[in-house]
Amino acid sequence: MSQAGTKKGAVSKINKNVAINSLIVFVVLLLAWVAGFASRLFAVIRFESIIHEFDPWFNYRATAYMVKHGFYNFLNWFDERAWYPLGRIVGGTVYPGLMLTSGSIHYILHLLHINVHIRDICVFLAPIFSGLTAISTYFLTKELWSTGAGLFAACFIAIVPGYISRSVAGSYDNEGIAIFALQFTYFLWIKSVKTGSVFWAVAASLSYFYMVSAWGGYVFIINLIPLHVFVLLLMGRFSNRLFTSYTTFYILGLVMSMQIPFVGFQPIRTSEHMAAAGVFALLFAVAVLKYLQSMLSKSEFKSLVIFGGLIAAAVVFVTVVLLTYAGYIAPWSGRFYSLWDTGYAKIHIPIIASVSEHQPTTWFSFFFDLHVLIPTFPAGLWYCIKNVNDERVFVILYALSAVYFAGVMVRLMLTLTPVVCMLSGVAFSVILELFVKDEDSNSHPDTENDETSHGGKRLYDKAGKVPKIIKHESKEQDAIGPNLRSIAAVVFVLLLMLFAVHCTWVTSNAYSSPSIVLASYGSDGTRQILDDFREAYFWLSQNTADDARVMSWWDYGYQIAGMANRTTLVDNNTWNNSHIALVGKAMSSNESAAYEIMTALDVDYVLVIFGGVIGYSGDDINKFLWMVRIAEGEHPKDIKESDYFTEHGEFRVDAEGSPTLLNCLMYKLSYYKFGELKLDYRTASGYDRTRNAVIGNKDIQLTYLEEAYTTEHWLVRIYRVKKPDEFNRPRIPVANRVIKSTFVSKKNSKRKKGVIKNKPVIVKGKKPAVKTQ
Amino acid sequence: MSENKKIEIMWKILIFCLFFTVINSAEVVNKNVINRKVVRSIDLNSQLVKISGTITLENAGKEAVGNYLIGFERDLQGSIAYITVQDSLKTPLKAGRVAVVGAGTTEVFYNVQLKSNVEPGKTATILYEVVLTKALPPYPSSITQKEKQLVRYFGNHYFYSPYYTEYQKTDVLVSSRAVETYSKLKPVSQTDSTISYGPYEKVPAYSIDHMTIHYENNAPFLTVTRLERTIEVSHWGNIAIEEAIEIKHTGAKLKGPFSRYDYQRDTSSNHHSIKSYKTVLPALAHSIYYRDMNGNISTSSVKPKKDYIELELRPRFPLFGGWQSSYILGYSVPSYPYLFRKSNGEFVLNVRLLDHVFDDMAVEELETNIVLPVGVSNIKVKTPYEVKRLPDGVAYKYLDNIGRTVIRASKSNLVEQHIQDIEITYGWPSHMLLHEPVLVSIALFLTFIIVIIYVRLDFSIRKPEHAKKD
Amino acid sequence: MAQTNVLLKFYNEYSAKTSRKLKVIDAYLFYILLTGIIQFIYCILVGTFPFNSFLSGFISTVSCFVLGVCLRLQVNPENKNQFYGISPERGFADFIFAHCILHLVVMNFIG
Repeated sequence: MSQAGTKKGAVSKINKNVAINSLIVFVVLLLAWVAGFASRLFAVIRFESIIHEFDPWFNYRATAYMVKHGFYNFLNWFDERAWYPLGRIVGGTVYPGLMLTSGSIHYILHLLHINVHIRDICVFLAPIFSGLTAISTYFLTKELWSTGAGLFAACFIAIVPGYISRSVAGSYDNEGIAIFALQFTYFLWIKSVKTGSVFWAVAASLSYFYMVSAWGGYVFIINLIPLHVFVLLLMGRFSNRLFTSYTTFYILGLVMSMQIPFVGFQPIRTSEHMAAAGVFALLFAVAVLKYLQSMLSKSEFKSLVIFGGLIAAAVVFVTVVLLTYAGYIAPWSGRFYSLWDTGYAKIHIPIIASVSEHQPTTWFSFFFDLHVLIPTFPAGLWYCIKNVNDERVFVILYALSAVYFAGVMVRLMLTLTPVVCMLSGVAFSVILELFVKDEDSNSHPDTENDETSHGGKRLYDKAGKVPKIIKHESKEQDAIGPNLRSIAAVVFVLLLMLFAVHCTWVTSNAYSSPSIVLASYGSDGTRQILDDFREAYFWLSQNTADDARVMSWWDYGYQIAGMANRTTLVDNNTWNNSHIALVGKAMSSNESAAYEIMTALDVDYVLVIFGGVIGYSGDDINKFLWMVRIAEGEHPKDIKESDYFTEHGEFRVDAEGSPTLLNCLMYKLSYYKFGELKLDYRTASGYDRTRNAVIGNKDIQLTYLEEAYTTEHWLVRIYRVKKPDEFNRPRIPVANRVIKSTFVSKKNSKRKKGVIKNKPVIVKGKKPAVKTQ
Repeated sequence: MSENKKIEIMWKILIFCLFFTVINSAEVVNKNVINRKVVRSIDLNSQLVKISGTITLENAGKEAVGNYLIGFERDLQGSIAYITVQDSLKTPLKAGRVAVVGAGTTEVFYNVQLKSNVEPGKTATILYEVVLTKALPPYPSSITQKEKQLVRYFGNHYFYSPYYTEYQKTDVLVSSRAVETYSKLKPVSQTDSTISYGPYEKVPAYSIDHMTIHYENNAPFLTVTRLERTIEVSHWGNIAIEEAIEIKHTGAKLKGPFSRYDYQRDTSSNHHSIKSYKTVLPALAHSIYYRDMNGNISTSSVKPKKDYIELELRPRFPLFGGWQSSYILGYSVPSYPYLFRKSNGEFVLNVRLLDHVFDDMAVEELETNIVLPVGVSNIKVKTPYEVKRLPDGVAYKYLDNIGRTVIRASKSNLVEQHIQDIEITYGWPSHMLLHEPVLVSIALFLTFIIVIIYVRLDFSIRKPEHAKKD
Repeated sequence: MAQTNVLLKFYNEYSAKTSRKLKVIDAYLFYILLTGIIQFIYCILVGTFPFNSFLSGFISTVSCFVLGVCLRLQVNPENKNQFYGISPERGFADFIFAHCILHLVVMNFIG
């Protein structure tokens, strides 16, 4: 329908053509937005409108606090409920952009008396921003290549799993809005480079400011843009436009980024930001030289420019290094180092390595997250390199650096996704132009956009429109035969459809689980909801003292604070390694040693996650080695990783496991009374479904703690730490009991071997990226 | 509803009562009235104490008697949540709380206005029913998970009365045969789950003899500590009801650890912990939700019955003694059974001030908020029993630019018998129905106009710039 | 010798080629440069105690300079082919706009 309209318009009036073009663009973008929004709602439809995972709970709690107490109180918020007894200055240690965004949406809606609960805003923020991301990607790609490529890119980014993984409804995290800010900043930057307009540069710096307020990944922008400028300089593509846009962008971006309390003076103090400053200086030097050259019109100036530029770069580099050594500029942070050396984290900072998001990416996850875009993206890159200009240099650099970073860390897959979408958009657009080109397209340059925009639309219109185009094309006389044409068209349409199917499948199966509500499927296909986390957290919130302190592994800190509203010792902020190590030490010591730590930290309750009953693989026993490692890092005398392995170097929970393991606090708390439980008639009592082993220590006695609550499926177990007067009864000394229980465990030494298997047994719909490995 | 008619039964709030005592002269006991026969039954099956009795009174004096005093002794356990008095034909009688000459302020008396005066020498029969809350303290007050929950009832073997009683008899119904001890004032007998005291004859006025019954009671000791009920009326044909409920297990406290293992093994149904309970919703209720501050509670089931909907609610965790929980239950009902239009154009809203939460419930604090539509005027409120009217509030719902009036009322210590209708009459212009749709369409229209103007302006800005450049 | 020659030639070229409008901007730039140098000397002599105040002052100077240079580049008729679609008026409007943003931020930052 629209195609016929376009044809007619092309023949008669250009004006009408433009109108129809913009209508198509508008409709495609709208559809992309709607499709992107809808495909992110799996979790809401399957479960409910709820905040997912770990970090979003903190963001949600902070947002709720801001909405309740106002922005300034939020900036000055000292949270005494986290990191007991240290506390946390939330206002100064958080990127407030996310909270500000949803807070202002909430404010505006309430001004209009649309009474939406702040939780619903938080849940739907990421899907809404995904639409904005699609639009800014469209604009960016349009600047780089063409409208058609832009539409393709917008459609891709709307549904690509690599981005959906971070922006499903309920995943209320910084990345959700940061990708939009990232793309939008890049778009404005490209725009300003193209025009040389101060206005666009200022807009870019404003957008950069938003990005800084939203995500720590702003460092990527502030390094990539200078890199772009630097490469352009090396290519001899200096222009006054470049000068105007970069200098304006940098200086305004610099002063604005320092407005965020968490960032503070980092932009002038840390090495991550120095490249930008160096390029700024270099650009000035080059500009001055150019100016002199234009004035003096000397022939040697060309070499002088390069020479002077190199000198300036060297001077800046030396200054930075000197300042770093002198202590004025902080060296690169640990996470930054781990970007360059993948082994670095494992050796030096176990806490970073323990997060599965920080693991190197596997090929599988590349394909899983990007699918057909992976093979087409190099094609787009090649086209860009072939037809290079100022902007395309940028996207080439973007692609190369993002590929590298994504390979280093799973989490940075997110920065790769947009550029892959853009370049694949370019590739598809070029290929379709080649194969599905209209006869009239030679005379009307506009039409090629239309063609590709049909291609973009086809994702949503599905097969309905395809035959029409093919039929239309096959009439043509061209170098490429009609059969080849139609085959190519069909193949590409099929690819796109496969891609859409894949995206939907991945989204629905892998990324749409809130992870605090689990679903299990019975043998007859019935779905059962396991709501143990909320059960436990709600129990904590209702039936413990308001100031009770809960000790748990750091993964659950934010959730406890958000859902149970109780004081935690450590949480996902992980800023204080020694505090975490102390908790790790308590978990990996025996009960009496742990009790000393726990009384020193005023712990009232201990919370452990235990998946042995339902076969939930992300439980604390599976994370236990990381606790040991982190504890060992700070307390090498008391905790040794090797003590927790068997003689053969295995980590086993059954009777052959090491005695240290079988008597440590974490083991006892996880398996307390589990030894008596028979899950079904075939298995022995105390059979752990997660690790497929019968536990080694079945007769666990607790002296200093008592079971306070265990959820229905034993997933969360809460223990109360007894007060000193509660266990003074004369009993067998702890040491004896320890030996005895070790002895008991030998009875089961013939049981099947139990090496950890990380495969989920019944729990489905769980994210593969469990926080701690 | 006939219940509306027996509205007049009221009891005063304590402060008001004291105030009353000082101002008015206290009631004088008419010595000529005697209780010919009193038969009481005390039901201890649930967490509430339900006392019902039949009193046959006789006028032994010379003048006709128009009122009768029902009394409760000084150290009455628990508090009287509800009292109703009827005559022999089951017509309700007025009973108001009064002070009595010759008695202290801690005794509680209700003055019953008889329907017709009792002539000298004649007899009359009245029936009364009293519900006491918090009258069954658990003993021992804390138990472990495996122990049984035992409670004690403290009462009076005699019918406490300012009058002389000729003959009286009391039956105590307990929930199980497992009665640990009970006080024995002869003649007394125990059969099955009933303990019969009496008959006692010729009991003087104001006699007290302490009765103690210590027995096992596994009925859910569940108290609603706070119930906030919000009723939102829309003239589009819908009434949305939301109840924010805080509940607490007020039986024997759990001592020592909770063991999930033991809990899962113990499948006997009469455990003192509370796993779930049933609540009753109107038959037309739809869009029911059950959630708490962390989101949906996925464990509930709806069973539509013939004239009501039965909702089985399972709290997130089983409730043991001393544990508490809270949740929000909401639903919508069509407005036609509740909202009527009078012939003079006024609207009458009849909704329940309190609704069923679970059987034998005890509600400590109730706050009911009724959100009326935008633009109501001339509001008249008629409550079934005395409630404390809080100052009216203003609520802004979706897209309201004018606030809605909220009628707020609160009351403490309620039981099932308080499930009655509140009647609100108000005037409301029907064109207000279109108020919001019109507003929204105007806003949309304005937006489009602005967009159109913006698009035009965009052109007009460009042109001069291009012109200037040349 | 050669240096002075070059400088002299540069000065002559500048006086001859540069239009009056650009000279005004150059004067402004020179003034900003002086301010910046003074600030820098001050910070070396006295110290940078309220660091944010110093920074905001210094950065605002640098940005003024940058924006001035940008304006100069855009206004310069020689660069017209490089800045397609940006008239001197548009450049000046952008300049004002950027300054508004800049000074809002600086005022917030100066504390």
